[in-house]
Amino acid sequence: MDFVVATDLEEALDALGRGALPLAGGTDLMVGVNAGQRPDNVVALRRVRELRQRNGQRIGAGVTWRVIEDEGPRALAQAARTVGSPQIRNAGTLGGNVGTASPAGDGLPFLAAVDAEIELTSREGVRTLRWDEFFTGVKETARRTDELITAVVLPAALPGRQEFAKIGVRNAMVIATVACVVTRADDGTTTVALGSVAPTPIRIPEAEELAKTLSDPGSAALDEFQHLVAAGVRPITDHRSTEEYRRHGAGVLARRLLTRCLREGAA
Amino acid sequence: MNPVGVVTQVNGREIARSVPARMTLVEFLRDELGLTGTKVSCELQVCGVCTVLVDRKPVSSCAFLAVDIDGREVTTIEGVASDGKLHPIQQAFIDHFALQCGFCTPGFVMMAVALLEEVPQPTPEQVVSYLEGNICRCTGYRSILEAVLDAADRLERASP
Amino acid sequence: MRGSILGAAVKRAEDPRFVRGEGRYIDDMRVEGAVWMACVRSPLAHGRITSIDIDEASRAPGVIGVYTGTDFGAYRMPIPAVGAHESTARPIIASDVVRFAGELVAVVVAESREAASDAASLVWPEFDSLPVVVDPRRAAGQDAPLLFPEAGSNVVVSGGDESEDDPVSGAEVVIGLELENQRVAAIPLEPNNALAIPDDAGNLELWVGTQSVHLARNRIFKTLGLDRDRLRVRVPDMGGGFGAKISPYPEQILCAAIALELGRPVRWQEDRIENLAAMSHGRAQFHKVRLGATAEGRITGLDWNVIADGGAYPLEGAVLAGYTRRMAAGPYDIPAIRFRWRGVVTNTAPTDAYRGAGRPEATMTLERLMDLLAVELDLDPVEIRQRNFITEFPMTTAVGERYDSGAYSDALDLARDLVGYDELRTEQKRRREGNDRFQIGIGVSSYVEVTAPDGRKEWGAVEVTPDEVVVYSGASSHGQGHETTFTQLVADVLGVERDRIRFVQGDTASIAHGGGTMGSRSMQLAGSAVVGAGESVIEKARRIAAHVSEAAVEDIVMLDNGTIGVAGVPDSGRSLFQLAEIAADPANLPDGEEPGLGADHTWVQEAATIPFGTHISVVELDTETGDVRLIRHAACDDCGVIFNRMIVDGQVHGGVAQGAGQALLERVVYDDAGNLQNANLTTYLMPTATNLPLIQIDHTVTPTDQNVLGAKGIGEAGTIGSGPAVVNAVHDAMAPFGVRHLDMPLTSARVWAAIS
Repeated sequence: MDFVVATDLEEALDALGRGALPLAGGTDLMVGVNAGQRPDNVVALRRVRELRQRNGQRIGAGVTWRVIEDEGPRALAQAARTVGSPQIRNAGTLGGNVGTASPAGDGLPFLAAVDAEIELTSREGVRTLRWDEFFTGVKETARRTDELITAVVLPAALPGRQEFAKIGVRNAMVIATVACVVTRADDGTTTVALGSVAPTPIRIPEAEELAKTLSDPGSAALDEFQHLVAAGVRPITDHRSTEEYRRHGAGVLARRLLTRCLREGAA
Repeated sequence: MNPVGVVTQVNGREIARSVPARMTLVEFLRDELGLTGTKVSCELQVCGVCTVLVDRKPVSSCAFLAVDIDGREVTTIEGVASDGKLHPIQQAFIDHFALQCGFCTPGFVMMAVALLEEVPQPTPEQVVSYLEGNICRCTGYRSILEAVLDAADRLERASP
Repeated sequence: MRGSILGAAVKRAEDPRFVRGEGRYIDDMRVEGAVWMACVRSPLAHGRITSIDIDEASRAPGVIGVYTGTDFGAYRMPIPAVGAHESTARPIIASDVVRFAGELVAVVVAESREAASDAASLVWPEFDSLPVVVDPRRAAGQDAPLLFPEAGSNVVVSGGDESEDDPVSGAEVVIGLELENQRVAAIPLEPNNALAIPDDAGNLELWVGTQSVHLARNRIFKTLGLDRDRLRVRVPDMGGGFGAKISPYPEQILCAAIALELGRPVRWQEDRIENLAAMSHGRAQFHKVRLGATAEGRITGLDWNVIADGGAYPLEGAVLAGYTRRMAAGPYDIPAIRFRWRGVVTNTAPTDAYRGAGRPEATMTLERLMDLLAVELDLDPVEIRQRNFITEFPMTTAVGERYDSGAYSDALDLARDLVGYDELRTEQKRRREGNDRFQIGIGVSSYVEVTAPDGRKEWGAVEVTPDEVVVYSGASSHGQGHETTFTQLVADVLGVERDRIRFVQGDTASIAHGGGTMGSRSMQLAGSAVVGAGESVIEKARRIAAHVSEAAVEDIVMLDNGTIGVAGVPDSGRSLFQLAEIAADPANLPDGEEPGLGADHTWVQEAATIPFGTHISVVELDTETGDVRLIRHAACDDCGVIFNRMIVDGQVHGGVAQGAGQALLERVVYDDAGNLQNANLTTYLMPTATNLPLIQIDHTVTPTDQNVLGAKGIGEAGTIGSGPAVVNAVHDAMAPFGVRHLDMPLTSARVWAAIS
């Protein structure tokens, strides 16, 4: 196994150019290594200072959940608080979450909800992809192997109200069975994004359309909203949960979060 | 295999070593430094058994590279007591019977140290939530919760 | 007893080293020249090995040897399941057929842990796959693929009552239930391991994480055909066992065999993924039951059928239903019981003891039946239990178990008061009438346990030297705090300070005999043994004191100042340590007295003891998501006389966590091809601090007549009592939705599917 410890971006990109797998916080890759997988070629990124920088709406890929918990936008900070344990939040990074692209990645519904972009850097230059161009399937992304995820770029203006919640089998330290972000701007524009209910993070445009017309947290149309979300997701049954339950949970969560946004708006 | 130079402080001791790039922090502590107080259990960062502090923040040493402690300071369970005297957290664990087989105990003690540095007077809910990544199969956790809360009081009384 | 620190919450002697990180577990030991063993396991659940290519692995850096079934496959372990066909004996490494995913097919020995594990990934076994059977109900059927064709059936053991008479016939009310007591994993935080150190003379010192060094030694020397006296088995500190470390494992035996072959120390440390795949699992029983009762709710009979999933080889798991049977009556007066069980092999990891070992399974089913009967007759769960409790002791149940003593109603009343039962019912009524999103459920579980069910013999010794007292015990503490309680007991008998007592356990070279720690046996058996030894030491001290003081033995007493001397003559007293010095010289001793001041004692207990209690759980159910939270739990246990309340309560707490864990979260899942679906701790979910509520604990004290201490076991009671209380509470919360029965674990997905 060729194992390189990069100290700056240049070294990291060189290693990637030679086919190395990027290792950020270790949350996912080390799990595989400890399980006996032996990647031939790894580049460790924790020493790469450039990746830890935050600059306006640009969050370096190496920023840890612990930092996002305190400094990230509301719903991303809420998501950060549900990522694993304090130990994992001190090690795990947003870039790692994005790069692994697990359907259950806790940070991903937020990126979908605000139409974030992923910044990819290689020896050939920098390109940015919208989240829905970047995430292509279960643990599959549009990243070329010579590219490094260097940052997540959020839009300049974020919606005023944002809420995140997730459901898991155990109340703590758990991989999400359903995760959801609902955002709402002052003009009523609403986004609904979910994780763990499709191969990639997913938005529910029909529900968003309906939500835009709602303003009363007690509205009877919330039933219809919940139904549209449940109908719009594409979950599977596995040993953690069932398709039906994920579908139901998606609707319930989205409704709760929208209600919260509406209440806040009314207040 | 491409060793990397590491200069670090472990429990206050300066250490300069050349370590294999793929070596984990817990391997470094146990095998290179002989600090076997830190145990290994799940190897997935979800049981908390291998918790140590890096720059006073808890991390799972099973999934943390040894090379990444370069320029940082590491505290392990062996560095908690000072001058042979138990830390108030350690004493509280004994007094509240917050351990049985003892295997998870170093991890819980390290978490308690980190928590009480961050939040000197935590609520029971804060303690529970901070410890969510640490598994104990023996105690049922209540005695651990009581020990941490009591330790917070002891530390407050002890501080000037 | 005199003294007395007994009964108090004495702090544990072992804890300072643990909180400092100075506990010494096998992986912490450093041995010069040791080599490492790594395992290659079958990815297939059932298959015939056609070839194993070891060339690449053998040439890998640092590799000393690669071993397969060709080398060690002929060594088979003794079959603990009495009556199983000899072909079912487990080989220490597969030589021909693999029967579960995770079975050993090769091991690599190398100079370092990394080298061994790297080379293990270069071993290439090939298989012809064989048909797989995972569900024991299917395995027990006619057309199932056979794991051991020579045995003729996958039903490898069976037992129970032969009677053709239906015990339920003529009952006014009959309650039927089919229940799966799902397969769970013990997950001691320290996985399995071994360290085998040979010497030049062909002796082997084997360090192994085990609950019984003697059982390990006996199985290992028999398996390998060694001379028993050449094998010394030891255990240092151990990170939990919970039943899964009673029997030795093939990997540990291989370590021993390879160390002897190489003449070098060999060590092995299992990782967590291997641990989930290869350490024995627990429970895994399917119950089909009918309970008959009168219209007033008096139980008249019970007809009980069990299929026990033994996994790939019949270890204890295949026969633990025999213990389930012994607890079939629970705390109730049941005139007629017919209990039949079958132990079945399947293409899954073997099953063995797990905290309670066959006994929680009885309580779970019986307590579900009691609640179903209560619902059927519209009676309160407390009332149905009160109507059926056994009240006269000693007595013998319909399955032949002797119950020593009890006051079942008292424990139930105490639990009821502790949890505030009536207020909770009022609150429940309010929420039901208000159609609240969050409903509460209250679950009652009254239980008995059969502790020290078998092997009711234990050895202990006490030796006084001029400097210290040494206590030797055949039990083997790994979290239970024997270093504390047993020294407490001996301190009390000898009148010596605890800090002058040293405790020795877990070494076949210094412990003459031992059963180990399991089955809630340690205090009652091993405690009685060390007390007996301590009393013999006092007797001997009196004889020696009499001899040197030229007094009659009858006049020698323990004086007020704690010394031993002539009654009424304070100055005549000598401390035990002084007497030990005198006793070291044969010239000082009366005729026929052996030198030294020590004694051993073998305690044999006639029958099992029957602790009991009632647990009451309160859950809150989110009717929108099916999410269940355990919000309160009250445990009232009666384990007879209590010697260290802190340790007893600690056992209850931990036991409750494991019972609640099985009820709500835990389950080992195999797919139909026998692939383990949750082989790590992100997918096998155990309770964390956030899953457990305030646990209120109290005790009633009803001594047993079975031992000198009056003590019954407590190690497993928490698990036995708690699981059914939690499960009943969830069902109580679901009652308005007309849900009759759901199997564990009661996850939100399962509950929601049932109530929606």
